[in-house]
Amino acid sequence: MSDLSLLVQMGFGALLALSVYLPLRCGQLSLATPGFYVIGGYVAALLSTRWPALSGDGAGYPLTSLALELVVAAPVAAAVALVLGRPVLQLRGIYLAIATIALVEILRVLNLNLAWSGGAVGIFGIPQPFAGPGGYALATWVLLALVCWLCARLEAMRLGRAMAAIRDDELAARCMGIPSADVKLTAFVISAVIAALTGVLAAHFLNTWNARQGGFDASITTLAFVVFGGSRIWLGPVLGGLVITALPELLRPVGDLRLILFGLVILLGPILFPQGLITPERLARLQQTLRRP
Amino acid sequence: MQAGQRSRIAVALGAAAALAAGLAACGPRAEDQPLQLKGGVPVGAVLSLTSNANAYGQDQQIGLKLAQAWFQQRRNANSQKALELNLRLEDGGGDEATASQAFNLLIDAGVVALIGPTLSQQAFAADPIAQRRGVPVVAPSNTATGIPQIGSFISRVSAPSTEIAPLSIAKALQLTPSIKRAAVFYAHDDAYSTSETVIFQKALTDKGLKPVTVQRTQLNDQDFQNQITSALRESPDLIVISAQAVDGGNLIRQLRELGYRGAIVVGNGMNTPNIYPICQRYCDGILIAQAYSPELDTPVNREFVALYQKAKGGAIPPQLTAQAFTAYQVVAEALQRLNKRQPLAQLSLGEARKALMAELLGGQYDTPLGEISFTSDGEVVQQRFHVAQVQMQPDGRSGRFLLLP
Repeated sequence: MSDLSLLVQMGFGALLALSVYLPLRCGQLSLATPGFYVIGGYVAALLSTRWPALSGDGAGYPLTSLALELVVAAPVAAAVALVLGRPVLQLRGIYLAIATIALVEILRVLNLNLAWSGGAVGIFGIPQPFAGPGGYALATWVLLALVCWLCARLEAMRLGRAMAAIRDDELAARCMGIPSADVKLTAFVISAVIAALTGVLAAHFLNTWNARQGGFDASITTLAFVVFGGSRIWLGPVLGGLVITALPELLRPVGDLRLILFGLVILLGPILFPQGLITPERLARLQQTLRRP
Repeated sequence: MQAGQRSRIAVALGAAAALAAGLAACGPRAEDQPLQLKGGVPVGAVLSLTSNANAYGQDQQIGLKLAQAWFQQRRNANSQKALELNLRLEDGGGDEATASQAFNLLIDAGVVALIGPTLSQQAFAADPIAQRRGVPVVAPSNTATGIPQIGSFISRVSAPSTEIAPLSIAKALQLTPSIKRAAVFYAHDDAYSTSETVIFQKALTDKGLKPVTVQRTQLNDQDFQNQITSALRESPDLIVISAQAVDGGNLIRQLRELGYRGAIVVGNGMNTPNIYPICQRYCDGILIAQAYSPELDTPVNREFVALYQKAKGGAIPPQLTAQAFTAYQVVAEALQRLNKRQPLAQLSLGEARKALMAELLGGQYDTPLGEISFTSDGEVVQQRFHVAQVQMQPDGRSGRFLLLP
């Protein structure tokens, strides 16, 4: 069971990493992912604890209600991302990163002080749609597979190619007639939706939700997933998210040294692989070696 | 690699996870297996040994170690064969996910009971897991409202702030009856501080002292000049603080440095000698209500204090250590009683956990905290609470909690 619940957390890590990866795919360093993750979590926590009609007949929380939460959380996050995206995405590079950190911080302070969010204690006693971690693992990995599929499709799609063009040279891309503002906004909105959907599942999985789930620390952790795994193709962030989430738990047998080892891995990763663990070149080479008899 | 190939990888990832989930669902249930007694009865503990809650976790770890040593002493002294406990300690970090994972890990390892987690916020995440899987939990330090109400398997030995906090306000008014204007400070991004300040503010209002100002700070703040100046403008003669050890210690120091001379009442977060090095001589005179007093004169407490002083070179044990000791003692004594009535070796793991919970809640315990027992939903019933005043040595380096009559 503990392995299954670790699988769930690894899935969350990979999903959040993909949410950071998408804006990065068109050259936008956005750290807003934890903000949307928290929005998704609060939507789930509030709907499931404050709206009795959703809890069904008492025997477990119905899956249809979970689906409803997902359906509500996605447009809420998309709407916030749409409204904020336009002005925020005018900024570039480090200024965009700072603006998105500010967004995360504003959301955190709001959640701490608004009456309905339960303040610093947050919302607890969130009902369970699944009997054990197995159900969560299935739901998380199905969502992860869907998002991976979307990212894989992007490489062949017009939108994906436009994103790659903007990443390489935005000015040149605009000269070619690519509506760069729209493309960046689309990536930002998709990223927000992924984070919010992850938040919905995470709120149920954790049994409790509070403002601490998305803060500056979470921004840095999710960025580390991408830096560690690589930001050139989608397999990188997925691997980064899975490995960095799992490592502190897998190192438990080491005892007191485990966080030191974990820190070493995070430090050595970018030093030895500055582009991240997975790059298209390394993948191609791997395939060649595999194909050779 | 083509896009088609990549999407095939994605499908394969999903299929592998589905397979894993399916396989795990049809394994044998650990709960039906007999209890593993080799090397002692397995008991788990989840404490915050890392993250910024580690100051609390370290205090608790010592408490568990001393309790182990104390039981070993008693086993050696008693010729009759007592049950041995096999304590497995895991780090719960400072966040919800780590604590939940540690709970899962220990439950899978087949422990009959769990001690922990350190923070109330972690308890809201991890305790429901233990409840669903029918594992007794004894919380040594969760003071938030609603912890035992998480379920029938959740109990605590840490009295909630609702019982303790008002006592120090009453004592302050008794010492200085002329108090008229109270100011309140609390860390608004901390779960413990925000719940405790509600209780403090209610206690003040009940005494007819509606706070003249309520100032909000943050857990990671170092500088409180703004909040202090706007509070001092209201010329308060009592200041009530709910904060953790580090920020609270700095707040007191700056209050005194900026010229506040009145009474100060602080909450449970500062109930540790670790505040002495922070506010130094300015700690002198602050009032605090405690669930544990090292000066309690009972045989158990004398032995506990002696063990602690031997381990820590004469220092005075803090409340967190005493409460962790108590949690271990409660589990160990309940197990001994259960074993006498119904030998554990004959029970399956699931039955042992259930029987232990019933035994645990039914018992009376003579602990360093004094006599304690439990209500039917797992809330601790403690006979004595104390109000102490900090008394610093003239050098401002060390001090003590002086018990007020």
